[in-house]
Formats: sequence, structure tokens, C-alpha cells
Amino acid sequence: MVNSHFELHDYGGSLEYYIFELANYSCLVLLISIFYKLKYISINSLIVWSGIFFLPFVFNYFLFSPMLFPDQFTYAAELMSLKANGVSIPDIAAQYQADIAAKYQGTELAAIGNFLEINPITFTVSLMGLAPIPNYMTVAAIGNFLEINPITFTVSLMGLAPIPNYMTVTSLAFANKFFLFFSFLALKNFFKNENILLLLFLIPSFLLYTSISLRETLIILLGIFFLLNMLRDNYFIALLIMLPLFIVKIQVFAFFALYFIGRLIFRAHKSLSAIIVYSVAILLTTFIFEEPILQLINYYRIGFAAENMDMGNGVYGYYAFSIYGDIESLTIESMFELIFLAIIGLPKILLMPLPNSWTNIFYPIQFLESVALVTLYSFIAIKSKMLRNHEFIFLTFVLVLSLMLYSLLAFNEGTFVRYRFSLFLPFVFAIYYLSTLHQASPLKNKI
Amino acid sequence: MNFLKRFDIKGKFSLLKEFFHDYVWKKSLLSVGIASFIFSLGFIQFTIPQFYISSTLREAESISTNGPSGSGAQALFSMASSEGDVFNEFRSNLYSYVVAQRMWEEGWGAKIYGTGDETEDTNKIDRRHTISENISSFLLGYDLYDYYSPHDLQDFIAGTVSFTKEIKGVNIYVSMMTRDPAFGLIFLNEIILVSDKYAKEHLILKSQAIIEGAQKQLAVSRNSAITASLSATINGEYLKIATLENDMPYNIYFIDPPYSSEYPVYPSTFSIFLSNFIIFIISSIMFHFIRDNKDNLW
Repeated sequence: MVNSHFELHDYGGSLEYYIFELANYSCLVLLISIFYKLKYISINSLIVWSGIFFLPFVFNYFLFSPMLFPDQFTYAAELMSLKANGVSIPDIAAQYQADIAAKYQGTELAAIGNFLEINPITFTVSLMGLAPIPNYMTVAAIGNFLEINPITFTVSLMGLAPIPNYMTVTSLAFANKFFLFFSFLALKNFFKNENILLLLFLIPSFLLYTSISLRETLIILLGIFFLLNMLRDNYFIALLIMLPLFIVKIQVFAFFALYFIGRLIFRAHKSLSAIIVYSVAILLTTFIFEEPILQLINYYRIGFAAENMDMGNGVYGYYAFSIYGDIESLTIESMFELIFLAIIGLPKILLMPLPNSWTNIFYPIQFLESVALVTLYSFIAIKSKMLRNHEFIFLTFVLVLSLMLYSLLAFNEGTFVRYRFSLFLPFVFAIYYLSTLHQASPLKNKI
Repeated sequence: MNFLKRFDIKGKFSLLKEFFHDYVWKKSLLSVGIASFIFSLGFIQFTIPQFYISSTLREAESISTNGPSGSGAQALFSMASSEGDVFNEFRSNLYSYVVAQRMWEEGWGAKIYGTGDETEDTNKIDRRHTISENISSFLLGYDLYDYYSPHDLQDFIAGTVSFTKEIKGVNIYVSMMTRDPAFGLIFLNEIILVSDKYAKEHLILKSQAIIEGAQKQLAVSRNSAITASLSATINGEYLKIATLENDMPYNIYFIDPPYSSEYPVYPSTFSIFLSNFIIFIISSIMFHFIRDNKDNLW
């Protein structure tokens, strides 16, 4: 059932809310019972997954208000609107129309005032369109598809989960759990030890982000499967997995594209010299396209800073930035400055939220988890003696590069803890998979 | 055929069939299904149908035709802020205590909290307090009000009336849920007009203050240019007062006056029946499943 009046009544925390979501939970529990009966999962997995499926009840309305992650309402409303009426919610529809209008005026950047409102895909395609190639017919055709709103595309995918009710803000969390479980089954093909795989699914932030109605689950799962297929040299499958990320999360797509190009074209996973050649190529490209790259980074930088501004007394966000914001101090003027800022920002993005910004109980937990994840990453590498493995070095190189880019935009702690995690976790899975391969053939790929 | 062998389709199918016969195809499940139907019927009896009342408004004031000054991002931000001003001001008024107080004076408190007796004193409507409110007042040593007040009406407005504007859009949506559509239609219309009137009064007072100040300056001014400028200001402010002193809304105008949904949008009866059916059936299946597999589970 679909709640066609979601925007009118979200059943927040009421008895109906629990009835609707309990029905979703029941269906998922039935599903794992059948899979247990079919001997696809062990008894440990059955018990643990019953608990994992229950978590959406624990977070929204119980441990915290869903307004802590307000985007959940947009995702849920969009899905319900699409399922009930076949059209986007007014916010997203208006945003799309405005983007199209701006596009046809040919003044995309100048016409759109609100940094949130510009479609990142439209902007990126506009930048890519600066390349002097003779014919843009195919690009334009693909462009129409790629200009789907990221939220619309994400919820269209997540809404494919056959759960009985899409009635409340938490329903999408159960859809997330559905995909999470099937990903677990698929990952069993990569990892022999089901219990260790299960432990990776119990990382606290992974449990949190898959228990709320956000797109992080989709990004993380696509990331994991992309990296694992790359490590298996399944380039075509990896490319297919990577494509949805272009719409869902373009920056993650860009990071993975770096890995894809480096591995496929430069063979950077084969030798140190290849990694160096690839690094030089990246550096040269950034200097050649310095202006559009700086424009893009500054655009997002100012946007995130504006979103995070809070001057108190209800003056916050873009409104506050329009009065108190200092665009000049945020603008990066040169590529050297960008590289410098990215390097000094790396430790912060790796370990955030740092103690000086802790404002609630989740922050110290997330900080400890950040430390634990970095430790786990290093531990797996050291334990498996992979520090001199080229594949590991190249993976880490891409991860560090991606985190450095994120560090330039990390003004909102909460948002970037989430972004950092959805980027970092696929690499943890990849490193663990690599360690299992490395243990099987330790001499391969050494300097 | 290797593919089929690898997945052991036949074996899995027989296991599935076994599961179906052991846990699903049972007489007891039919009873559980009927029980869920009875439970849902009972549950529905305790819910109150709610109608959806909504209205579409548009900001009456447009931004300057000259466009924002400055260049680049600064101009864009100034445009964003000027667009948001009318909306934010109207929203603040709508949820303000002053508006709640005026609505109260117009008798809305009695309509919402009263017994329906027309002779009832609006300021003497008995109010019950929750246990937690009583405990808090006892522990902290303050008195609870025995009667409803404009504060309660303000809470009612904040909790019931939704006021939104889409990103980049121009329309403002005001909506509420109510069991009585006739009440909702009048209430929503009234609160929009009262909020707008409050904004108008502020502007009239501001214009009057400007006129008063300008007239004082005019009396002592010797410079003809300044005198002309002050006269123009006074004329302009008088014109503004003239445009404000009418019954038409000032900040906003109605694209679509308040209207009600034809049928109650809450509760979703079919969803409740379906959900309860699923919960009852799967609980029964799981009960038998756990009972049969308890040795493995514990």
C-alpha cells in the first residue's frame, strides 16, 4: 500500500505507524526464514538479520526524531508521490523546471541563486560540455536521461523493494534493509567466511544509515560491488554498477571513475611507476582544467558553507549567508591552494567529528568509530602483509585522494561524517577481500 | 544445465514446498486471518476520520524589476533573501502569539476548546492537565492555568496548520487536518487573513511614524530641495496607508481559497486491514517456525 497523502499525514510515532512498519518487518523476517530453510544462510545470520531488520524501529521516533535527518521526509514523500500519482513532489518538480528554464536561457550559473537548487548533474554536464568535441548528439541524448533528479532516481530504485507498505517516513528504511539482505547473499560469493561478513554488516554507522530513509545504503552497496568487481577484473560489470552513481551521487561516481580509469587504462594496480604516471596525469589534467575545476569546487564549497551557517534567532542557511557570508574568504584562487587545503584537511575528514565539535551523544560514538575504521583498515593491511601490494597501494591512493577532495567541502560535520562513511566502507570491504586474495597468493603484486 | 545443478533448483523447490505445507497451509492460519479482520474492525472504531483542508496563496509583492545589485554570487544571494522575506514574515506572523490572541478574541478558542454552549465564558473554559504537567508544576513550584488561553490556541495553530513554500516555487501552501471540514474551511481562511492584517497594521504604524517625523522636519526645513523630498515622502506614505487600509490581503493573495478533501484522508482503512492481516499471519508462521527450530536457535 502507498500513502498517497504522505505530505498531509506522516503517521509519526502513532499506533498506525507501528502497525504499518511492523507489517514491513514481518515480511522481511518471513523472507529470511525462507532463506534459512533453503539453507542460503546460517542460523547465526538468521538471528542477526532478525535484529538488523528491527533497527528502523529503534532509530526514527524512538532514539531520535526523524528530523535529525530531515532529508528522509523528502525521499519518502517523493517515493509516495511517484507511486501514488506518478509525478514528483512539487519541490522536486519545481527544481527540475527551473533547471530546464535556466538551461535554455544559457545562463545556468548566473540565473540560479540558491546553491542547493542547482542540479549537480546539469552543472557537471555543462562543464563537460566545454570540451571542444564536434558532435554532442549522443551526449545530449544521454544527458536527458542523466538529468533525472537524484532523489527521484534513488527512490525509484529503492521503491522496487517488494515490501507491503510505503506509508511512513520509515518505510524506505525497510526497503533499504531488503536490498541490504540480498547484497549480503550476493557478497557471500566473494567472502567465504559468512560470520566475518556478518560482522562487517554490524558496523554501527552502517546499521544506522541503512535503518533510515536515505540513499546511503544504495551508495555504499553500489560502491562495494563496484570495487569487488574491479578487483576481480570484471570491468564491464563494474562499469554498469558505477553508472547509477552518476545520478545518485556524482562525487562518488567521480572518485570511482578515478579508480576505474587508473586501473583499466594506466594499469596503476600493477606497479609503483604506473601509479606515479597516473598521479602526474591527474595533476596535469587539474592544471589544464584549473578554471572549471576551481569553479566547481568553489561552488560546492560556498554552498556547503552557506547551508551550515547558523547565526541564531532563526537566521540560518542561505538567508544567513546572504547577510553574513564571506564568499571571498571561502574561494580557492589557485590549484596550489586547493592542494594545500586538501592535504591539511585530510586528518580532519578522516577522524571527524573531532571532540571540539561534539554536541550530542552520537558524536563521540562516531568519532570512536572513525578511529576504529581507520585502525581496521590498517590492521587488515598489516595483518595480511599487504603494505607493499600494488593493488592495496592504488586503492589507498584513490581513497586518500577522494577524502582530500571531500575535506575541501566539509563544513557540516554531520553531513560529511555520513559522506565520509559511505565512501570509506566500500574500501574496507575491498581491502578485506583483497586480503583474502592476498593470503591465497601472497607473492603476487609485490614490489 | 550446470547452472541448475549448481543451484539445486529441484532440492530448493522441495524445501520451499515443505516450508509452505509445514507453516502456511494450515487451518489455524485461517483463524488467525479472521482474528486479524476482527482486530482491524475494532481498531478502526477508535480512529477519528480527518479531512484535509488546504489553500494555495501567492506572494503579492514582487521583487524589484531592476533586479539585485552587485554581481555574481552576492547578487544571487540578495535575490534569494528578498524572495524569502515576504514568506518568512508571513510565516512568523501566522505562528505568532499576537495572531493567536486575535483569533482568541474572535472566539476561536471557544470553538476549539469550548463545549458548544454559546453562553459559556471564553476565558473560563476548563482545562485538564496531563500527569507530567502536574508533576512538573509540583516539583518546580509553579501554578498551572485552570483555563484555556491564547497560548493553547497558539500551540494548536503550530501543531495543526502547515505552511510551506516549494523550493524555487512561487506558491505557498497552507493546510491542516480536521475532523470537521466546515470548521476547518473557516478557520484556515480566518487565520490567513488575520496574519495578513497584522502585517498590514505594522506597515501602517511604520508609515504613520515616517509621516510624523517628516512633518516635523518639514516645519523647520528651509531648503527647497529637502522640503520637496520630504513632501514626496509624506505623499508616498499616505498613498501606502490608503492602499493598506482596505479589506484586501496585502502580503499574499488567494490562488485557491481554502477547500476540503471530498472524503477523509485518514485513516487509511485498507492499509490497516492489510497490515494487521500480514502481522497476524506472519506472527503465526514465525511462532510455529521458532517452535520447530528452537533447538537450533538457542
